[in-house]
Amino acid sequence: MKLSINWLKEFVDIADLSVEEIIDKATNAGFEIEDVEYRGNASGLIVGKVIECADHPDSDHLHITKVDIGEKVLDIVCGAPNCRRGLKVIVAKVGAVLPELTIKAGKIRGAVSDGMLCSLLELGVKKELLADDSPSLNGIEELDDSFVIGDTDILERLGYKDVSLVVSIYANRPDCLSMFAMAKEMAAILDRECRLPEFAGYSDFGQPTTFQLTSQSENCPHFLAKVVNKVVIKPSPKWMRDHLLANGVKSINNVIDISNYVMLETGQPMHFYDLRTNPKREIEVIDDYEGEYEALDGIVYPIEKGDLMITSDQKPIGIAGIMGGENTKILDDTSGIIIECALFDHARIRRTANRLGLQTEAAMRFAKGLDPLAQKKAMDRSCQLLQLLADADGFEATVEYGSDNYTPYEVRESAGHLSALIGKEFTTDDLYRVLKRLDFEPRIEGDEVVAKIPSYRSMDIKLREDIDEEVVRLTGFADLEATLPIMPSTIGQLSPIQKMRRAIRSFLMYSGLNETCTYTLVRDEYVKASPLCIGEPITLLSPLSDVRRCIRTSLIDSMMETLAYNEAHYNENVNLFELSSLYAKDNVHKEHLAILLSGSLQESKVIGNVLPSDFYTLKGLVMALLDRLGFEKGRISIKANDLDSEHFNPYQSCLLLMDNQILGILGKIHPRYAQSFKTSEAAYCELDLSILCEAKAKKIKAPEVNRYPTISRDISVVVKEEVEAFDLLRTIKKAGGRLVKDANVFDIYRGHGIEEGYKSVTVNIIYESSEKTLKIEDIMPLHDKILDELNKNYQANLRN
Amino acid sequence: MEDITVLKREALNQIDRCQDLPALEECRVEYLSKKGKIQGLMSKMKDLPKEEKPKFGQVVNELKSEVTQALENKKKALAEAELEQRLKREKLDITLDAYTPVYGTMHPLNLVVEAIEDCFIGLGYQVAEGPEVELDYYNFEKANTPKGHPARDMQDSFYIDPTTLLRTHTTSIQMRVLEEAHGQMPIKLICPGKVYRRDNDDATHSHQFMQSEGLVVGENITLSDLKGTLQFLVDSLFGKGQKIRFRPSYFPFTEPSVEVDMSCHICHGKGCPTCKGTGWIEILGSGMVHPNVLKMAGIDPLKYSGFAFGVGIERIAMLKYGIKDIRDLYTNDKRFLASFKRFD
Repeated sequence: MKLSINWLKEFVDIADLSVEEIIDKATNAGFEIEDVEYRGNASGLIVGKVIECADHPDSDHLHITKVDIGEKVLDIVCGAPNCRRGLKVIVAKVGAVLPELTIKAGKIRGAVSDGMLCSLLELGVKKELLADDSPSLNGIEELDDSFVIGDTDILERLGYKDVSLVVSIYANRPDCLSMFAMAKEMAAILDRECRLPEFAGYSDFGQPTTFQLTSQSENCPHFLAKVVNKVVIKPSPKWMRDHLLANGVKSINNVIDISNYVMLETGQPMHFYDLRTNPKREIEVIDDYEGEYEALDGIVYPIEKGDLMITSDQKPIGIAGIMGGENTKILDDTSGIIIECALFDHARIRRTANRLGLQTEAAMRFAKGLDPLAQKKAMDRSCQLLQLLADADGFEATVEYGSDNYTPYEVRESAGHLSALIGKEFTTDDLYRVLKRLDFEPRIEGDEVVAKIPSYRSMDIKLREDIDEEVVRLTGFADLEATLPIMPSTIGQLSPIQKMRRAIRSFLMYSGLNETCTYTLVRDEYVKASPLCIGEPITLLSPLSDVRRCIRTSLIDSMMETLAYNEAHYNENVNLFELSSLYAKDNVHKEHLAILLSGSLQESKVIGNVLPSDFYTLKGLVMALLDRLGFEKGRISIKANDLDSEHFNPYQSCLLLMDNQILGILGKIHPRYAQSFKTSEAAYCELDLSILCEAKAKKIKAPEVNRYPTISRDISVVVKEEVEAFDLLRTIKKAGGRLVKDANVFDIYRGHGIEEGYKSVTVNIIYESSEKTLKIEDIMPLHDKILDELNKNYQANLRN
Repeated sequence: MEDITVLKREALNQIDRCQDLPALEECRVEYLSKKGKIQGLMSKMKDLPKEEKPKFGQVVNELKSEVTQALENKKKALAEAELEQRLKREKLDITLDAYTPVYGTMHPLNLVVEAIEDCFIGLGYQVAEGPEVELDYYNFEKANTPKGHPARDMQDSFYIDPTTLLRTHTTSIQMRVLEEAHGQMPIKLICPGKVYRRDNDDATHSHQFMQSEGLVVGENITLSDLKGTLQFLVDSLFGKGQKIRFRPSYFPFTEPSVEVDMSCHICHGKGCPTCKGTGWIEILGSGMVHPNVLKMAGIDPLKYSGFAFGVGIERIAMLKYGIKDIRDLYTNDKRFLASFKRFD
């Protein structure tokens, strides 16, 4: 909403206030000022007359002029094509300040120039505010003879000396999309009187009419129409053109201007039809028209079922609430009109306007909501103005379809309730005075104040709390204390899953990984079948773009996209993780943890230590994480990945199972899949946290401190390639019995001395007893037994 | 006896001249071993008169221990010298960075979320969660925003079907918690999470972003309690010294509604580019819970009142760390991510 200060002055006495003061007051009362528009903004201007105009000898377009400004004659060089002798022009004198420059005396290509002849554009006037044939569009402004040489009030007289505040209007205040309501609001904020024009009842007359008005659609609950048999088309008066201009509306002629002007004043969109185009003298609102229709902007729009259309004699004559039709518009020779003031369903209008891309002032106002009495107010006001400015006559009686359905009502509030909600003492008088400022005609009944809510505030004020908001809004928050609630104590703590997330974050963070946050919405070709994916993807009804059409069912594509971005920017050693909720059809909801490793995780090349971001590093990291979370090694089983060879290298990936459920998948990315993102073959793991949440973590129990030392022995065996570490270790632990505290593979060797197809595996075994210090002799028999078992089960031989 | 004095001088000189441990060992063998020179003196004892024997023995023993002591001392001195040599040999270039442990980082948005969580956990709040794929019922209807309400226009939404959408605010979590409370009072919670709106991405808009809303419902909760609580939040996020101010605003689920500004943490109210010269920065929206919202949750608005607020996590992160473009938070450039080492 643009609030013209000049226009506001007509209703509220604000001459003593600066623009800044007005902005400050409005802001504190809940009206954010998004921008301040100066229509024209220049100083040092004077009216001059070109008395000589010659071509510049050194230029093909410059003119050397002499300009009479009364006090003296100035030499000015001007490049405008319309510069000529006899023209009255706007002169910016030396020292004049224009939005883009300050005028200085000087020479242009050798010729003296002591000023500038101006176009309105150079004075800060926006192009949109100029008439289509304005000379300022292609040259300098041409002043008419009403301007006298030496005059300085040029911008005022042209209607360009005004400031408009661009006011942000919240959804509860659609009434403020009207000048009258905005003026009342500003008067209430400033605690001043508001003088609005009197026009009530101006349409309550007219000869009997035969005009028929009806609606097929329930989305038009109220419609007023009136035939005016005589109007005279002519230009609008200057004050009306100025106010229209302030709102960015171009003046066309008096009749069309009145329809726009009354909308700006009352907030009620209205439309005038040329009476000649409606021989059947009827209007019917329908919502089942299908086909094309040319609106008065000359563009043909596709109309669908559900769009509200104004018709006559079964032919469309306008797009209801959005724009009139080309076939019924007011022309220069129009001599009679039909006035339309209707209420259309806001959701319908919004939908049609959005679909057609036609966000007109009318559509915007319908979409936000209207004063329920606005139709009658607008009808009254337009009849008044038509008589005043268009010699209107031959009014027929107003025809009404439906009703405004409005019942006046009252809201009560007490100072006690108000004070208790706000936490600050208010008296009945405080309450009374604010309601008086708002023109709610308050009266005191006992300890309550009763307010009559005007129709234009009925969308917003229904409850006593709504009154409370008005009070704090207009009295300000400045002296509101800052207290903390006094209430029973509660315990604040994280839930188990929230604690688990924090543990995961800190573990992975200190392991050297960076946490990412990627978009939930993805393109649908990203979604592929894999145990990673939680189900069938959900598609949006109206996505912003194909790239963000679906809700992701796995994190792998997002992580690969992030890797691709980083590799394209030559970021090395990209090691990432992300925790995110995933959603799929049939109410499937899971939470996944994604970990992606590439390059190396830790490296110190000087000391020759590199921890590569490979399968084993990732597996170790994930197993350690699970251990940290309370799920020790023994509970996790590792299975070959026989479910997803699309995303993963089948020979370097595995499934992680916990309590016989698939917990996740881990391994090297398949070269083909990596190629589709143009990335390196990273290592990737995705875990289903929902399973961890449901599972019971191991309780931590302090072990007895063992007073006896451990003893450590290595054993190197040669086995066939396909023998897996897990089996060897299990056999060792079983054979060794309770004295074997731990066993880990610490070296695998192939090559010289080892036959092809075989490998040498070295295992470090830790023995421990809680009864005595173990000696070599104690464990030698166990060692032999272990070797026997390994030999029996896996044909393992001691390596010499 | 003179022999002894000579031998002593000779031995001590020789020990003193030793340059390393092997030489010293040679010395030890020469003088102290069973066939050494000192032992050799002992063999002379049998030739001595009986009364001189004890005296002689004593003197030889003294010699023996004196030489032993000298050897010991020399050994220590040599070891010291050798250690000193080794240390010198192993001198390092202390300016070289041979090992730089890589530690990761949390995403800045989660750093902010955790800071907000910690602030409110300290005040006895719960951290509540809810689904991102949400029913229109909890996202709008229950939040006093029925179908066709003009406020739905403010946040054009990603619908999945006519009754389901990606939640447009974490208010939906509040609505679920209010319903599940079955009138159990008091309610104190914050609810962080991702939300979605049909906005085209640019430097200041993102179709996906994070919020953390807060809700307190109980007896005698006032607007000044909201102010005190938010002052506490601002103190804990930006450090003490920032003022807050309320401006009237509108949200369908609060009445009265207020927009909250914080005095600029960069210029402390003087005016700078961050606050666009105003000295104030808009940080969140809040208000007193709308009586309709309480009623719909089966809570008597005459007995109980409450406040609610919603913080934009991106907004806080951008202010806190001076991030200029909201999209940077979702690009996940490693160099960017790695810079968020902590929240303080």
